[in-house]
Amino acid sequence: MSGAPTHTADGLEARGGADPRLPSDGSDVLLDVRDLSVVYESAGQTAVQAVDHVSFQLRKGEFVGLVGESGSGKSTLGYALTRLQKPPARTNGGHIFFAGADIRDLDDEALRRQRQGGFAMVLQSGMNALNPVRTIRNHFIDVFKAHGHVPRDRWDARMKELVAKVKLPETMLARYPGELSGGMRQRVSIALALSLEPQLMVFDEPTTALDVLVQHAVMDTIIELQKEEGFTAVLISHDLGIVLEATERVLVMHEGRIVEDNDSRSILRDPQDEYTQMLLSHYADPRAEVVSLPGFPDRSQRDASATRQETTSSFSTVGSRERSAAKNPIVVANLVKTYPAPRRGEQPVQAVRDVSFTLEPGQSLALVGQSGSGKSTIAKMLTGVEQPTSGTVRFGDTDVAKLGRRGLKDLRSEVQMVFQDPYAALNPLHTVEYILTRPVLNYTGLRGKDARRRVLELLETVGLTPVEQFAQKLPHQLSGGQRQRVVIARALASDPQVIIADEPVSMLDVTLRAGVLALLEDLREQWGVSLLYITHDLLSARLITDDIMVLHNGEVVERGRTAEVLQHPQDPYTVDLLDAVPNPRRALAEGRL
Amino acid sequence: MTHNATVAVRTQQDDPGQPEQQAPSKLRAAGRQFGVVWSNTKARVGIIILAFFVLVAIFAPLLAPYGGSQNGFERNGDASWAHWMGTTAAGEDVLSQLIYGARVSVLVGAVAGFLSTLVAVAIGLSWGYIRGWVAEVIGFIVNLFLVIPGLPLMIVIAAYLQNGGIAVIIAVIVVTGWAWGARVLRSQTQSLRSRDFVTAAQFSGDGATRIVFREILPNMTSLIVGSFFGAATSAILAEAGLEFLGLGDSSIVSWGTILYWAQNSNALLTGQWILLFAPGLCIALLAMSLTLINFGVDAVSNPRLREGARRKRKEVSA
Repeated sequence: MSGAPTHTADGLEARGGADPRLPSDGSDVLLDVRDLSVVYESAGQTAVQAVDHVSFQLRKGEFVGLVGESGSGKSTLGYALTRLQKPPARTNGGHIFFAGADIRDLDDEALRRQRQGGFAMVLQSGMNALNPVRTIRNHFIDVFKAHGHVPRDRWDARMKELVAKVKLPETMLARYPGELSGGMRQRVSIALALSLEPQLMVFDEPTTALDVLVQHAVMDTIIELQKEEGFTAVLISHDLGIVLEATERVLVMHEGRIVEDNDSRSILRDPQDEYTQMLLSHYADPRAEVVSLPGFPDRSQRDASATRQETTSSFSTVGSRERSAAKNPIVVANLVKTYPAPRRGEQPVQAVRDVSFTLEPGQSLALVGQSGSGKSTIAKMLTGVEQPTSGTVRFGDTDVAKLGRRGLKDLRSEVQMVFQDPYAALNPLHTVEYILTRPVLNYTGLRGKDARRRVLELLETVGLTPVEQFAQKLPHQLSGGQRQRVVIARALASDPQVIIADEPVSMLDVTLRAGVLALLEDLREQWGVSLLYITHDLLSARLITDDIMVLHNGEVVERGRTAEVLQHPQDPYTVDLLDAVPNPRRALAEGRL
Repeated sequence: MTHNATVAVRTQQDDPGQPEQQAPSKLRAAGRQFGVVWSNTKARVGIIILAFFVLVAIFAPLLAPYGGSQNGFERNGDASWAHWMGTTAAGEDVLSQLIYGARVSVLVGAVAGFLSTLVAVAIGLSWGYIRGWVAEVIGFIVNLFLVIPGLPLMIVIAAYLQNGGIAVIIAVIVVTGWAWGARVLRSQTQSLRSRDFVTAAQFSGDGATRIVFREILPNMTSLIVGSFFGAATSAILAEAGLEFLGLGDSSIVSWGTILYWAQNSNALLTGQWILLFAPGLCIALLAMSLTLINFGVDAVSNPRLREGARRKRKEVSA
């Protein structure tokens, strides 16, 4: 231990300004990144230049956003800034000056010391990084012991101070991580990072894994903290909306480069780079009179423009499709699902309480609510995956709950599902062709060449062309949006009457969402299927559904025409959900920027 | 374990542009997996040792100076130029016996390991996929086999079937050795069956058998391979143990019987320690080579264990 401090001392001296590499006007520059490049080199694969000659500076006390889609290199950059990167990632060029010293030169011990009073990072999965068998208090003690920056008699006071800062009660200290919700745990990990009194905090998607409504609250806490504590902060996010609402300055990253670096207001009013403009164009307020996104005219005007139907789609399969227009409604009456209590002595979980609705043939209905509101449970009961505790689900004349194995197969040829996570819904070992051939063989009775032709038609329907090429690909060779198209194609293979889409776009990048939503919308119009669209995202619900049901704690709190409900919400819960939709322009309108 | 495919890709390409690579052939994929195993130092040592023993077993007639059961040499002879490791009490050449003995161990290891893995896969996968009382019944039987101490059971069965030769030994090992593998495979099946792609296969109208063997099984290949090497290791040890106790056919030449006869003729007291040491070392080396290979196989199923190739998970799906 005694040998190490000299290193830190070196670092501190360099901080003083003796270093010739310091920028001359660098008095208030905390972080100066110059020409930084990070490459991923894994054995047997071509190297990927994730960050490519990036340069920027952060002034003390600044709150800066770093925005980009998945694969843009934003997280890689965040890890490089805090020296948390691991092989196969490797910095292959450039410098990172933190308070004047190049942190790329620090050895492990110096780096460890630097984490106190230096830089800290809050991870997306940070809430899962807590040790489940140790209390929150112990987590704080670990940090205090490792750095010795808090005298032992101040420990308790400091802990209480820290948890209060992230708006948690003191009693939380005695709890175990498993007893806290995701949002609380993320708050704890923020407090732990804060306990190091860092000058620079890097938040890597701090709220992405949290529930919509919790996201909002945690983000507010982060913004307040930054104002009070005055640390420099970098907020990494895929969501330009969230970042613009929170930060003063935004760096937009695309394919490893920073394509725009400007203050939030200018980006919002007058984005310079095409990519930024494109990102911004995908935000809209679901409450507005007219809601449109690129490639997505407003619904109210859509019916008038019947031309779109002819122009946008040249379905080679239309002929074979006429019979499949939905005929049977799904009628749900007094549906109740109660799960047994998770532990002895607790209340049973009432996932769905007395829900009734009808999905008419050809209707598009949105089922909206936060996680735990019971919307996915309803989807499971509609498809026979789960049995209702009481109440009935009828599809045409059949009672879904009473179906046996054969009956379920028949049901699923008519009621198909689009899954939330396109990465999990495709077996990584099968080609697209195999994946699509299965339902064709099982449901349509086509064999051999006919089956193959049908598979290729399906690929064409979902816009994956050239079809021959896509048929041979494995899922990992496709992007998220392409995968979701394969999932949709699979759902269409059996000529279903009803498609249940469970958060089909929540895992996709903003720019890919519009395409998948447009596809769903087209399919409904062209093929006449009914669509049950399950989501927490009111903007997408507004775009592709006519009717909406808002679920809260398993109960329907509001229902009606989508446009009316979203423009004039009656229930406070609907209002909360609406407020949680990130919308940079709203901040501008309210004068917060 | 199947994370490796998905994780590797999520870090890259999300561009709508088409990645150039074509779907790799099965052979190429297998070659890549072998490359991962080979890149692990421990596994590489294991593969070299195993390859050595397999080659010795195959080419035994060429390598051995004399026949395996050829006797008539000097009894209890010490090492000499004619007999590098000396001769046994029955007047056989020890080195030749050792070389021919490799055949039995390698054969039993491969066949018994394969068969007990087969049983483990069949039972483990259906046990993991089925729900309800059938699963309970299977569970009861598997647990029964798990709690019965292996060696005594093996001895009882082997003694009951008396001198049936290698086939009986293999049967005994399979009967007593599949349960642990079945248990491991069952837990993996249970975690895979709740994946979306399995539900999606149900929605595609696939039946249970097809889902288990075409959707789930290929996703646990490396676990099955690992379980094979584990089973083969214990099969080799069990075979040697049974032979040593005289429960096999003591007329065949194997490492276990060399030990058995050496023990019977008090080789240690007559100073012929090599009679016990050499086959013992061979058994240990062969078993160790399989265990070492398993370190590499673990790296296939869990990319985090790959040396120097830690992958970062960028998008953790909630």
